Amino acid sequence: MMEENSLTNNRPYYINPYLGGVLLGLLVILTVYITGRGLGASGAVKSAVVTTADVIAPAHAEENAYYSKFISDDHSPMYTWLVFESLGIFFGGLLSGIIFGRVKKLRVERSPKITNKTRLIAALIGGILFGIGSQFGRGCSSGAALSGSATFALGGVIVMLLLFGTGYAVAWFFKKLWI
Amino acid sequence: MNKNYIFLTILMLVLAFGTLFLNKEPEHGQIKPEKLLYNIIQPTRYVTTDQVAKMIIDKDPTLELVDVRDEKSFEEFSLTNAINIPLDSIISPNYEDYFGVPGTKVVFYSNDDILADQAWVITRRMDIEETYVMKGGLNCWIETIIQPKEPSEEDPYTAFEQYQFRKGAQMYFTGAKVEQSVKKKKVVVRRKKKQAAASGGC
Amino acid sequence: MGPLIPNGIIGGGWDFVIALLLGIAFGFILEASGFSSSRNIAGVFYGYNFVVLRVFFTAVIVAMTGLLFFDYFGWIDLNKIFILPTYLAPMIFGSVVMGFGFLLGGFCPGTSYTAIAIGKLDALVFTIGLFIGIFIFGEAFPLFKDFYYSGYLGNVTLTDVTGIPASWFAFAFTVIALASFWVTMIIEKRVRKNIKEYKF
Repeated sequence: MMEENSLTNNRPYYINPYLGGVLLGLLVILTVYITGRGLGASGAVKSAVVTTADVIAPAHAEENAYYSKFISDDHSPMYTWLVFESLGIFFGGLLSGIIFGRVKKLRVERSPKITNKTRLIAALIGGILFGIGSQFGRGCSSGAALSGSATFALGGVIVMLLLFGTGYAVAWFFKKLWI
Repeated sequence: MNKNYIFLTILMLVLAFGTLFLNKEPEHGQIKPEKLLYNIIQPTRYVTTDQVAKMIIDKDPTLELVDVRDEKSFEEFSLTNAINIPLDSIISPNYEDYFGVPGTKVVFYSNDDILADQAWVITRRMDIEETYVMKGGLNCWIETIIQPKEPSEEDPYTAFEQYQFRKGAQMYFTGAKVEQSVKKKKVVVRRKKKQAAASGGC
Repeated sequence: MGPLIPNGIIGGGWDFVIALLLGIAFGFILEASGFSSSRNIAGVFYGYNFVVLRVFFTAVIVAMTGLLFFDYFGWIDLNKIFILPTYLAPMIFGSVVMGFGFLLGGFCPGTSYTAIAIGKLDALVFTIGLFIGIFIFGEAFPLFKDFYYSGYLGNVTLTDVTGIPASWFAFAFTVIALASFWVTMIIEKRVRKNIKEYKF
Protein backbone atom coordinates (compact mmCIF):
# COMPACT_ATOMS: atom_id res chain seq x y z
CA MET A 1 0.00 0.00 0.00
CA MET A 2 2.84 2.35 -0.78
CA GLU A 3 1.46 5.62 -2.02
CA GLU A 4 3.71 8.00 -3.86
CA ASN A 5 3.76 11.73 -3.75
CA SER A 6 1.12 13.25 -5.97
CA LEU A 7 3.67 15.34 -7.77
CA THR A 8 3.83 12.42 -10.10
CA ASN A 9 0.57 11.26 -11.53
CA ASN A 10 0.07 8.52 -9.01
CA ARG A 11 -2.20 8.22 -6.04
CA PRO A 12 -1.99 11.11 -3.63
CA TYR A 13 -0.32 10.49 -0.33
CA TYR A 14 -2.71 10.25 2.55
CA ILE A 15 -1.77 9.49 6.10
CA ASN A 16 -2.81 6.20 7.56
CA PRO A 17 -6.54 6.51 8.27
CA TYR A 18 -6.24 4.87 11.65
CA LEU A 19 -3.61 7.41 12.57
CA GLY A 20 -5.94 10.11 11.33
CA GLY A 21 -8.70 8.64 13.44
CA VAL A 22 -6.57 8.52 16.56
CA LEU A 23 -5.49 12.11 16.03
CA LEU A 24 -9.07 13.17 15.43
CA GLY A 25 -10.24 11.34 18.54
CA LEU A 26 -7.55 13.02 20.60
CA LEU A 27 -8.57 16.34 19.09
CA VAL A 28 -12.16 15.75 20.16
CA ILE A 29 -10.99 14.97 23.68
CA LEU A 30 -8.86 18.12 23.68
CA THR A 31 -11.73 20.21 22.39
CA VAL A 32 -14.10 18.88 25.01
CA TYR A 33 -11.43 19.35 27.66
CA ILE A 34 -10.93 22.98 26.77
CA THR A 35 -14.39 24.09 25.75
CA GLY A 36 -16.83 21.60 27.15
CA ARG A 37 -18.24 21.17 23.65
CA GLY A 38 -17.28 19.04 20.71
CA LEU A 39 -16.30 20.09 17.20
CA GLY A 40 -18.79 21.22 14.60
CA ALA A 41 -19.06 22.67 11.13
CA SER A 42 -22.55 23.30 9.81
CA GLY A 43 -23.14 26.06 12.33
CA ALA A 44 -20.80 28.36 10.47
CA VAL A 45 -22.90 28.27 7.31
CA LYS A 46 -25.98 28.82 9.41
CA SER A 47 -24.33 31.89 10.91
CA ALA A 48 -23.54 33.08 7.40
CA VAL A 49 -27.17 32.70 6.38
CA VAL A 50 -28.40 34.54 9.45
CA THR A 51 -25.90 37.33 8.91
CA THR A 52 -26.87 37.68 5.28
CA ALA A 53 -30.53 37.82 6.15
CA ASP A 54 -29.84 40.33 8.85
CA VAL A 55 -27.83 42.54 6.52
CA ILE A 56 -30.19 42.39 3.58
CA ALA A 57 -33.52 42.46 5.36
CA PRO A 58 -33.08 43.13 9.06
CA ALA A 59 -36.75 43.49 9.85
CA HIS A 60 -37.57 40.20 8.22
CA ALA A 61 -34.71 38.52 9.97
CA GLU A 62 -35.88 39.75 13.34
CA GLU A 63 -39.34 38.46 12.69
CA ASN A 64 -38.25 35.09 11.51
CA ALA A 65 -38.53 32.74 14.40
CA TYR A 66 -35.43 30.83 13.38
CA TYR A 67 -32.99 33.58 12.45
CA SER A 68 -33.94 35.79 15.35
CA LYS A 69 -32.59 33.28 17.80
CA PHE A 70 -29.12 33.93 16.54
CA ILE A 71 -29.27 37.66 16.16
CA SER A 72 -27.95 39.72 19.01
CA ASP A 73 -27.58 43.43 19.38
CA ASP A 74 -24.03 43.24 20.65
CA HIS A 75 -22.32 41.52 17.84
CA SER A 76 -22.68 40.11 14.40
CA PRO A 77 -24.05 36.57 14.19
CA MET A 78 -20.74 35.65 12.57
CA TYR A 79 -19.00 36.23 15.85
CA THR A 80 -19.40 32.70 17.11
CA TRP A 81 -17.21 29.81 18.07
CA LEU A 82 -18.16 27.68 15.07
CA VAL A 83 -17.39 30.36 12.52
CA PHE A 84 -13.85 30.71 13.78
CA GLU A 85 -13.45 26.99 14.02
CA SER A 86 -14.67 26.57 10.46
CA LEU A 87 -12.24 29.22 9.30
CA GLY A 88 -9.62 27.13 11.00
CA ILE A 89 -10.81 24.02 9.20
CA PHE A 90 -10.32 25.80 5.91
CA PHE A 91 -6.81 26.89 6.79
CA GLY A 92 -5.92 23.53 8.25
CA GLY A 93 -7.04 21.92 5.04
CA LEU A 94 -5.05 24.44 3.06
CA LEU A 95 -1.97 23.77 5.14
CA SER A 96 -2.25 20.05 4.69
CA GLY A 97 -2.96 20.49 1.01
CA ILE A 98 0.14 22.57 0.59
CA ILE A 99 2.32 20.16 2.52
CA PHE A 100 1.10 17.15 0.59
CA GLY A 101 0.98 18.94 -2.72
CA ARG A 102 -2.72 18.77 -3.34
CA VAL A 103 -3.46 22.43 -3.84
CA LYS A 104 -4.02 22.76 -7.53
CA LYS A 105 -6.18 24.67 -9.94
CA LEU A 106 -9.94 24.59 -9.65
CA ARG A 107 -11.19 21.18 -10.59
CA VAL A 108 -14.24 18.99 -10.34
CA GLU A 109 -13.96 15.52 -8.96
CA ARG A 110 -16.27 12.94 -10.36
CA SER A 111 -16.59 9.46 -11.69
CA PRO A 112 -15.63 9.22 -15.33
CA LYS A 113 -19.13 8.04 -16.18
CA ILE A 114 -20.72 11.46 -15.72
CA THR A 115 -19.95 14.98 -16.82
CA ASN A 116 -18.74 17.92 -14.78
CA LYS A 117 -22.12 19.48 -15.10
CA THR A 118 -23.87 16.46 -13.66
CA ARG A 119 -21.48 16.33 -10.79
CA LEU A 120 -21.92 19.97 -9.97
CA ILE A 121 -25.69 19.75 -10.08
CA ALA A 122 -25.54 16.75 -7.80
CA ALA A 123 -23.22 18.64 -5.47
CA LEU A 124 -25.61 21.56 -5.36
CA ILE A 125 -28.65 19.44 -4.65
CA GLY A 126 -26.66 17.42 -2.16
CA GLY A 127 -25.62 20.59 -0.41
CA ILE A 128 -29.15 21.89 -0.29
CA LEU A 129 -30.45 18.65 1.16
CA PHE A 130 -27.61 18.44 3.63
CA GLY A 131 -28.18 22.02 4.67
CA ILE A 132 -31.85 21.40 5.35
CA GLY A 133 -31.17 18.13 7.10
CA SER A 134 -28.46 19.57 9.30
CA GLN A 135 -30.85 22.08 10.80
CA PHE A 136 -33.37 19.43 11.72
CA GLY A 137 -30.60 17.21 12.94
CA ARG A 138 -29.07 19.91 15.12
CA GLY A 139 -25.70 19.32 13.57
CA CYS A 140 -23.82 17.56 10.81
CA SER A 141 -21.53 14.59 10.76
CA SER A 142 -18.87 16.45 12.71
CA GLY A 143 -21.02 18.17 15.25
CA ALA A 144 -23.81 15.73 15.82
CA ALA A 145 -22.53 12.37 14.70
CA LEU A 146 -18.88 12.60 15.69
CA SER A 147 -18.88 14.86 18.72
CA GLY A 148 -22.32 13.79 19.85
CA SER A 149 -21.47 10.11 19.80
CA ALA A 150 -18.10 10.70 21.44
CA THR A 151 -19.86 12.34 24.35
CA PHE A 152 -22.40 9.54 24.51
CA ALA A 153 -25.27 11.78 23.52
CA LEU A 154 -28.33 9.88 22.35
CA GLY A 155 -28.97 12.40 19.59
CA GLY A 156 -25.44 11.97 18.31
CA VAL A 157 -25.74 8.25 17.98
CA ILE A 158 -29.12 8.54 16.27
CA VAL A 159 -27.77 10.98 13.72
CA MET A 160 -24.68 8.89 13.10
CA LEU A 161 -26.60 5.66 12.54
CA LEU A 162 -29.28 7.18 10.35
CA LEU A 163 -26.99 9.43 8.35
CA PHE A 164 -24.73 6.61 7.28
CA GLY A 165 -27.57 4.12 7.21
CA THR A 166 -29.50 6.24 4.76
CA GLY A 167 -26.37 6.68 2.71
CA TYR A 168 -26.02 2.95 2.36
CA ALA A 169 -29.70 2.58 1.57
CA VAL A 170 -29.60 4.98 -1.37
CA ALA A 171 -26.08 4.34 -2.54
CA TRP A 172 -27.08 1.95 -5.27
CA PHE A 173 -29.22 4.59 -6.98
CA PHE A 174 -26.39 7.06 -7.34
CA LYS A 175 -23.63 4.67 -8.14
CA LYS A 176 -22.87 6.35 -11.43
CA LEU A 177 -21.87 9.51 -9.66
CA TRP A 178 -18.93 7.83 -8.06
CA ILE A 179 -17.81 4.68 -9.81
CA MET B 1 1.90 -3.90 8.56
CA ASN B 2 -0.51 -6.55 9.69
CA LYS B 3 1.38 -7.29 12.87
CA ASN B 4 1.19 -3.64 13.87
CA TYR B 5 -2.53 -3.63 13.26
CA ILE B 6 -3.02 -6.71 15.38
CA PHE B 7 -1.09 -5.09 18.17
CA LEU B 8 -3.10 -1.88 17.89
CA THR B 9 -6.37 -3.77 17.83
CA ILE B 10 -5.48 -5.57 21.01
CA LEU B 11 -4.29 -2.35 22.60
CA MET B 12 -7.54 -0.59 21.80
CA LEU B 13 -9.56 -3.52 23.07
CA VAL B 14 -7.67 -3.55 26.32
CA LEU B 15 -8.13 0.17 26.83
CA ALA B 16 -11.82 0.06 26.07
CA PHE B 17 -12.22 -3.01 28.26
CA GLY B 18 -10.44 -1.12 31.00
CA THR B 19 -13.07 1.58 31.01
CA LEU B 20 -15.54 -0.96 32.31
CA PHE B 21 -13.64 -1.05 35.56
CA LEU B 22 -13.21 2.63 36.14
CA ASN B 23 -15.51 3.11 39.06
CA LYS B 24 -15.31 6.37 40.79
CA GLU B 25 -16.44 7.09 44.29
CA PRO B 26 -18.67 10.09 43.77
CA GLU B 27 -16.31 12.48 45.45
CA HIS B 28 -17.74 15.47 47.12
CA GLY B 29 -15.75 18.22 45.51
CA GLN B 30 -13.85 19.80 48.34
CA ILE B 31 -12.24 23.17 48.42
CA LYS B 32 -8.63 23.52 49.42
CA PRO B 33 -7.84 23.61 53.17
CA GLU B 34 -6.18 27.02 52.89
CA LYS B 35 -9.26 28.46 51.26
CA LEU B 36 -11.48 26.95 53.93
CA LEU B 37 -9.32 28.32 56.71
CA TYR B 38 -9.35 31.74 55.12
CA ASN B 39 -13.14 31.64 54.90
CA ILE B 40 -13.46 30.49 58.50
CA ILE B 41 -11.64 33.46 59.92
CA GLN B 42 -13.82 35.93 58.03
CA PRO B 43 -16.70 37.23 60.12
CA THR B 44 -18.72 37.90 56.97
CA ARG B 45 -20.67 34.72 57.34
CA TYR B 46 -22.48 36.02 60.34
CA VAL B 47 -25.83 37.64 60.05
CA THR B 48 -27.57 39.25 62.98
CA THR B 49 -30.93 38.27 64.33
CA ASP B 50 -32.14 41.70 63.27
CA GLN B 51 -31.17 41.01 59.69
CA VAL B 52 -32.92 37.67 59.75
CA ALA B 53 -36.02 39.18 61.31
CA LYS B 54 -36.12 41.87 58.67
CA MET B 55 -35.83 39.35 55.87
CA ILE B 56 -38.65 37.28 57.30
CA ILE B 57 -40.88 40.30 57.77
CA ASP B 58 -40.11 41.54 54.28
CA LYS B 59 -40.90 38.07 52.98
CA ASP B 60 -37.55 38.08 51.22
CA PRO B 61 -37.73 35.19 48.75
CA THR B 62 -34.00 34.63 48.76
CA LEU B 63 -33.91 33.63 52.41
CA GLU B 64 -33.64 29.97 53.24
CA LEU B 65 -33.47 29.24 56.95
CA VAL B 66 -31.98 25.92 57.94
CA ASP B 67 -32.47 24.67 61.47
CA VAL B 68 -29.62 22.30 62.24
CA ARG B 69 -30.92 21.01 65.54
CA ASP B 70 -32.59 17.66 65.98
CA GLU B 71 -36.13 17.07 64.87
CA LYS B 72 -37.67 17.29 68.30
CA SER B 73 -36.27 20.74 69.01
CA PHE B 74 -37.39 21.79 65.57
CA GLU B 75 -40.94 20.67 66.25
CA GLU B 76 -41.04 22.54 69.53
CA PHE B 77 -39.98 25.82 68.08
CA SER B 78 -38.63 26.99 64.79
CA LEU B 79 -38.34 30.17 62.84
CA THR B 80 -40.83 31.03 60.13
CA ASN B 81 -40.42 28.92 56.99
CA ALA B 82 -37.31 27.23 58.31
CA ILE B 83 -36.45 23.74 57.18
CA ASN B 84 -34.91 21.17 59.43
CA ILE B 85 -31.67 19.49 58.46
CA PRO B 86 -30.09 17.98 61.57
CA LEU B 87 -26.35 18.53 61.70
CA ASP B 88 -25.47 14.89 61.36
CA SER B 89 -27.22 14.61 58.03
CA ILE B 90 -26.15 17.91 56.61
CA ILE B 91 -24.13 16.31 53.81
CA SER B 92 -26.53 13.51 53.13
CA PRO B 93 -27.49 13.33 49.45
CA ASN B 94 -31.13 13.77 50.45
CA TYR B 95 -30.52 17.36 51.29
CA GLU B 96 -28.14 18.20 48.47
CA ASP B 97 -30.82 20.04 46.58
CA TYR B 98 -31.32 22.60 49.28
CA PHE B 99 -27.88 24.02 48.79
CA GLY B 100 -26.33 25.91 45.97
CA VAL B 101 -29.59 27.15 44.52
CA PRO B 102 -28.63 30.30 42.67
CA GLY B 103 -29.96 33.40 44.34
CA THR B 104 -30.88 31.90 47.68
CA LYS B 105 -29.09 32.69 50.87
CA VAL B 106 -28.94 29.78 53.27
CA VAL B 107 -28.85 30.85 56.92
CA PHE B 108 -27.99 28.19 59.45
CA TYR B 109 -29.18 28.54 63.00
CA SER B 110 -29.21 26.49 66.18
CA ASN B 111 -29.73 27.23 69.86
CA ASP B 112 -26.50 29.11 70.22
CA ASP B 113 -24.43 29.37 67.08
CA ILE B 114 -22.04 26.50 67.63
CA LEU B 115 -23.95 23.84 65.72
CA ALA B 116 -24.84 26.30 63.01
CA ASP B 117 -21.21 27.25 62.66
CA GLN B 118 -20.26 23.64 62.29
CA ALA B 119 -22.87 23.19 59.62
CA TRP B 120 -21.43 26.19 57.85
CA VAL B 121 -17.89 24.85 57.95
CA ILE B 122 -18.95 21.44 56.70
CA THR B 123 -20.95 22.81 53.78
CA ARG B 124 -18.34 25.45 52.98
CA ARG B 125 -15.78 22.72 52.72
CA MET B 126 -17.90 21.19 50.01
CA ASP B 127 -17.69 24.46 48.15
CA ILE B 128 -21.28 25.40 48.81
CA GLU B 129 -21.50 29.15 48.70
CA GLU B 130 -23.97 31.82 49.84
CA THR B 131 -24.27 30.29 53.29
CA TYR B 132 -24.51 32.20 56.53
CA VAL B 133 -24.80 31.70 60.27
CA MET B 134 -27.23 33.56 62.49
CA LYS B 135 -25.03 34.95 65.21
CA GLY B 136 -26.07 33.96 68.67
CA GLY B 137 -28.63 31.49 67.41
CA LEU B 138 -32.07 31.13 68.88
CA ASN B 139 -30.88 32.23 72.28
CA CYS B 140 -30.00 35.59 70.82
CA TRP B 141 -33.21 35.59 68.82
CA ILE B 142 -35.20 35.38 72.05
CA GLU B 143 -33.16 38.12 73.70
CA THR B 144 -33.35 40.53 70.84
CA ILE B 145 -36.53 39.88 68.91
CA ILE B 146 -38.91 38.17 71.26
CA GLN B 147 -37.97 40.09 74.38
CA PRO B 148 -36.01 43.09 73.28
CA LYS B 149 -34.43 45.12 76.00
CA GLU B 150 -35.24 48.75 76.12
CA PRO B 151 -32.09 50.79 75.79
CA SER B 152 -31.10 53.06 78.61
CA GLU B 153 -30.82 56.79 78.13
CA GLU B 154 -27.11 56.94 77.60
CA ASP B 155 -27.24 54.57 74.72
CA PRO B 156 -26.61 56.00 71.26
CA TYR B 157 -29.44 56.91 68.94
CA THR B 158 -28.95 53.80 66.87
CA ALA B 159 -29.82 51.67 69.86
CA PHE B 160 -33.24 53.30 69.98
CA GLU B 161 -33.80 52.75 66.30
CA GLN B 162 -32.88 49.16 66.74
CA TYR B 163 -35.24 48.84 69.68
CA GLN B 164 -38.08 50.31 67.62
CA PHE B 165 -37.43 47.77 64.95
CA ARG B 166 -37.27 44.98 67.50
CA LYS B 167 -40.51 45.97 69.10
CA GLY B 168 -42.14 45.85 65.73
CA ALA B 169 -40.57 42.48 65.07
CA GLN B 170 -41.71 41.23 68.41
CA MET B 171 -45.23 42.18 67.49
CA TYR B 172 -44.91 40.42 64.19
CA PHE B 173 -43.57 37.21 65.60
CA THR B 174 -45.50 36.91 68.82
CA GLY B 175 -48.56 38.96 68.13
CA ALA B 176 -47.92 40.68 71.45
CA LYS B 177 -49.49 44.02 72.01
CA VAL B 178 -47.17 46.88 72.46
CA GLU B 179 -47.45 48.31 75.94
CA GLN B 180 -48.43 51.88 76.01
CA SER B 181 -45.55 53.84 77.28
CA VAL B 182 -46.77 56.06 80.09
CA LYS B 183 -43.51 57.81 80.49
CA LYS B 184 -43.26 61.03 78.67
CA LYS B 185 -41.30 60.39 75.59
CA LYS B 186 -37.98 62.04 75.79
CA VAL B 187 -37.23 64.13 72.77
CA VAL B 188 -34.67 62.29 70.83
CA VAL B 189 -32.26 64.56 69.12
CA ARG B 190 -30.60 63.29 66.03
CA ARG B 191 -27.03 62.93 66.98
CA LYS B 192 -24.14 62.28 64.74
CA LYS B 193 -23.66 58.62 64.62
CA LYS B 194 -20.46 57.96 66.47
CA GLN B 195 -20.44 54.27 66.15
CA ALA B 196 -20.70 51.95 63.22
CA ALA B 197 -24.15 50.64 62.43
CA ALA B 198 -25.58 48.53 65.16
CA SER B 199 -24.26 45.07 65.12
CA GLY B 200 -26.92 43.71 67.39
CA GLY B 201 -24.69 41.25 69.14
CA CYS B 202 -25.57 39.30 72.24
CA MET C 1 -9.93 20.45 35.94
CA GLY C 2 -11.75 20.45 32.67
CA PRO C 3 -13.69 21.63 30.86
CA LEU C 4 -11.42 24.64 31.11
CA ILE C 5 -13.50 27.45 29.69
CA PRO C 6 -16.76 26.67 31.47
CA ASN C 7 -14.80 26.33 34.69
CA GLY C 8 -13.28 29.72 34.15
CA ILE C 9 -9.74 28.43 34.03
CA ILE C 10 -9.25 29.97 30.63
CA GLY C 11 -10.80 33.36 30.18
CA GLY C 12 -13.52 33.97 27.60
CA GLY C 13 -11.35 36.22 25.49
CA TRP C 14 -9.30 33.28 24.29
CA ASP C 15 -12.40 31.55 22.98
CA PHE C 16 -12.02 32.37 19.34
CA VAL C 17 -8.27 31.96 19.18
CA ILE C 18 -8.71 28.47 20.55
CA ALA C 19 -11.55 27.83 18.13
CA LEU C 20 -9.32 28.81 15.27
CA LEU C 21 -6.46 26.61 16.42
CA LEU C 22 -8.66 23.60 17.04
CA GLY C 23 -10.25 24.16 13.66
CA ILE C 24 -6.87 24.24 11.97
CA ALA C 25 -5.96 20.95 13.58
CA PHE C 26 -9.32 19.49 12.54
CA GLY C 27 -8.96 20.67 8.97
CA PHE C 28 -5.42 19.40 8.74
CA ILE C 29 -6.32 15.95 9.97
CA LEU C 30 -9.30 15.76 7.65
CA GLU C 31 -7.38 16.80 4.57
CA ALA C 32 -4.36 14.70 5.38
CA SER C 33 -6.56 11.64 5.77
CA GLY C 34 -8.12 12.15 2.38
CA PHE C 35 -11.40 13.78 3.22
CA SER C 36 -10.83 16.56 0.74
CA SER C 37 -11.89 14.24 -2.03
CA SER C 38 -15.57 13.52 -2.55
CA ARG C 39 -14.81 10.24 -4.25
CA ASN C 40 -12.84 9.10 -1.24
CA ILE C 41 -15.70 9.95 1.05
CA ALA C 42 -18.33 8.27 -1.10
CA GLY C 43 -16.14 5.22 -1.24
CA VAL C 44 -17.38 3.96 2.09
CA PHE C 45 -20.77 3.34 0.57
CA TYR C 46 -19.46 1.34 -2.34
CA GLY C 47 -16.64 -0.50 -0.73
CA TYR C 48 -13.73 0.91 -2.69
CA ASN C 49 -12.47 3.25 0.00
CA PHE C 50 -13.23 2.86 3.64
CA VAL C 51 -11.36 5.89 4.87
CA VAL C 52 -14.53 7.44 6.30
CA LEU C 53 -15.29 4.37 8.35
CA ARG C 54 -11.74 4.05 9.57
CA VAL C 55 -11.20 7.61 10.57
CA PHE C 56 -14.67 8.17 11.95
CA PHE C 57 -14.97 5.01 14.01
CA THR C 58 -11.44 5.26 15.29
CA ALA C 59 -12.04 8.84 16.33
CA VAL C 60 -15.25 7.93 18.16
CA ILE C 61 -13.78 5.01 20.08
CA VAL C 62 -10.62 6.91 20.96
CA ALA C 63 -12.65 9.86 22.14
CA MET C 64 -15.11 7.75 24.11
CA THR C 65 -12.39 5.75 25.82
CA GLY C 66 -10.27 8.82 26.36
CA LEU C 67 -13.08 10.85 27.89
CA LEU C 68 -13.90 8.04 30.27
CA PHE C 69 -10.29 7.85 31.42
CA PHE C 70 -10.08 11.62 31.73
CA ASP C 71 -13.20 11.56 33.84
CA TYR C 72 -11.77 8.84 36.03
CA PHE C 73 -8.54 10.72 36.61
CA GLY C 74 -10.52 13.78 37.50
CA TRP C 75 -9.20 15.79 34.58
CA ILE C 76 -12.61 16.47 33.19
CA ASP C 77 -16.06 16.66 34.71
CA LEU C 78 -18.31 14.84 32.29
CA ASN C 79 -21.35 16.34 33.97
CA LYS C 80 -20.34 19.79 32.85
CA ILE C 81 -19.92 19.14 29.15
CA PHE C 82 -22.44 19.94 26.49
CA ILE C 83 -24.57 17.01 25.47
CA LEU C 84 -26.33 17.28 22.14
CA PRO C 85 -30.07 17.58 22.82
CA THR C 86 -32.31 14.90 21.42
CA TYR C 87 -35.32 15.88 19.35
CA LEU C 88 -36.44 12.51 18.21
CA ALA C 89 -38.62 12.95 15.11
CA PRO C 90 -36.87 15.96 13.55
CA MET C 91 -33.46 14.42 14.10
CA ILE C 92 -34.49 11.21 12.44
CA PHE C 93 -35.89 13.17 9.54
CA GLY C 94 -32.85 15.40 9.37
CA SER C 95 -30.46 12.48 9.42
CA VAL C 96 -32.24 10.79 6.54
CA VAL C 97 -32.21 13.98 4.50
CA MET C 98 -28.54 14.43 5.32
CA GLY C 99 -27.90 10.89 4.21
CA PHE C 100 -29.26 11.74 0.77
CA GLY C 101 -27.28 14.92 0.70
CA PHE C 102 -24.15 13.09 1.75
CA LEU C 103 -24.50 10.57 -1.04
CA LEU C 104 -25.34 13.13 -3.71
CA GLY C 105 -22.84 15.71 -2.65
CA GLY C 106 -20.07 13.49 -1.42
CA PHE C 107 -19.24 15.95 1.30
CA CYS C 108 -20.28 17.13 4.68
CA PRO C 109 -19.70 20.72 5.79
CA GLY C 110 -16.38 20.22 7.53
CA THR C 111 -14.81 18.20 4.74
CA SER C 112 -16.14 20.57 2.11
CA TYR C 113 -14.18 23.41 3.69
CA THR C 114 -10.95 21.48 3.39
CA ALA C 115 -11.76 20.52 -0.18
CA ILE C 116 -12.41 24.13 -1.11
CA ALA C 117 -8.99 24.91 0.28
CA ILE C 118 -7.32 22.61 -2.20
CA GLY C 119 -9.36 23.83 -5.13
CA LYS C 120 -12.26 21.45 -5.50
CA LEU C 121 -15.05 23.17 -7.35
CA ASP C 122 -17.62 20.55 -6.43
CA ALA C 123 -16.93 21.30 -2.77
CA LEU C 124 -17.50 24.97 -3.36
CA VAL C 125 -20.79 24.22 -5.06
CA PHE C 126 -21.70 21.91 -2.21
CA THR C 127 -21.08 24.64 0.32
CA ILE C 128 -23.16 27.05 -1.71
CA GLY C 129 -25.83 24.40 -1.62
CA LEU C 130 -25.52 24.27 2.14
CA PHE C 131 -26.09 27.98 2.28
CA ILE C 132 -29.14 27.74 0.05
CA GLY C 133 -30.49 24.78 1.98
CA ILE C 134 -30.22 26.49 5.33
CA PHE C 135 -31.75 29.59 3.82
CA ILE C 136 -34.69 27.59 2.53
CA PHE C 137 -35.02 26.05 5.95
CA GLY C 138 -35.01 29.43 7.62
CA GLU C 139 -37.57 30.91 5.30
CA ALA C 140 -39.89 27.96 5.50
CA PHE C 141 -39.40 27.60 9.22
CA PRO C 142 -42.88 28.72 10.30
CA LEU C 143 -44.33 25.84 8.31
CA PHE C 144 -42.71 23.15 10.36
CA LYS C 145 -41.83 24.95 13.53
CA ASP C 146 -43.79 22.56 15.68
CA PHE C 147 -42.24 19.57 14.05
CA TYR C 148 -38.80 21.06 14.55
CA TYR C 149 -39.31 21.22 18.29
CA SER C 150 -41.12 17.93 18.67
CA GLY C 151 -39.84 14.84 20.36
CA TYR C 152 -37.69 16.71 22.83
CA LEU C 153 -36.07 14.33 25.27
CA GLY C 154 -33.59 16.74 26.74
CA ASN C 155 -29.83 16.67 26.65
CA VAL C 156 -29.84 12.97 27.27
CA THR C 157 -26.95 10.59 27.07
CA LEU C 158 -27.17 6.94 26.23
CA THR C 159 -26.77 6.20 29.90
CA ASP C 160 -29.63 8.51 30.83
CA VAL C 161 -31.95 6.69 28.49
CA THR C 162 -30.92 3.09 29.07
CA GLY C 163 -29.32 3.09 32.48
CA ILE C 164 -26.36 1.24 30.98
CA PRO C 165 -23.04 2.75 32.06
CA ALA C 166 -21.17 4.71 29.41
CA SER C 167 -18.18 2.40 29.54
CA TRP C 168 -20.28 -0.50 28.26
CA PHE C 169 -21.16 1.53 25.21
CA ALA C 170 -17.56 2.49 24.72
CA PHE C 171 -16.47 -1.11 24.90
CA ALA C 172 -19.26 -2.41 22.68
CA PHE C 173 -18.60 0.29 20.15
CA THR C 174 -14.90 -0.47 20.20
CA VAL C 175 -15.51 -4.12 19.53
CA ILE C 176 -17.86 -3.38 16.66
CA ALA C 177 -15.51 -0.78 15.22
CA LEU C 178 -12.44 -3.01 15.40
CA ALA C 179 -14.34 -5.89 13.86
CA SER C 180 -15.50 -3.65 11.05
CA PHE C 181 -11.93 -2.58 10.38
CA TRP C 182 -10.82 -6.12 9.74
CA VAL C 183 -13.86 -7.01 7.69
CA THR C 184 -13.70 -3.93 5.50
CA MET C 185 -10.04 -4.50 4.87
CA ILE C 186 -11.01 -7.69 3.11
CA ILE C 187 -13.94 -6.11 1.29
CA GLU C 188 -11.85 -3.22 0.09
CA LYS C 189 -9.21 -5.45 -1.40
CA ARG C 190 -11.87 -7.33 -3.32
CA VAL C 191 -13.70 -4.29 -4.60
CA ARG C 192 -10.53 -2.54 -5.64
CA LYS C 193 -9.47 -5.44 -7.76
CA ASN C 194 -12.36 -4.56 -10.01
CA ILE C 195 -11.74 -0.87 -10.27
CA LYS C 196 -8.57 -0.12 -12.14
CA GLU C 197 -9.00 3.53 -12.87
CA TYR C 198 -9.53 4.64 -9.31
CA LYS C 199 -6.56 6.57 -8.15
CA PHE C 200 -7.35 9.14 -5.57
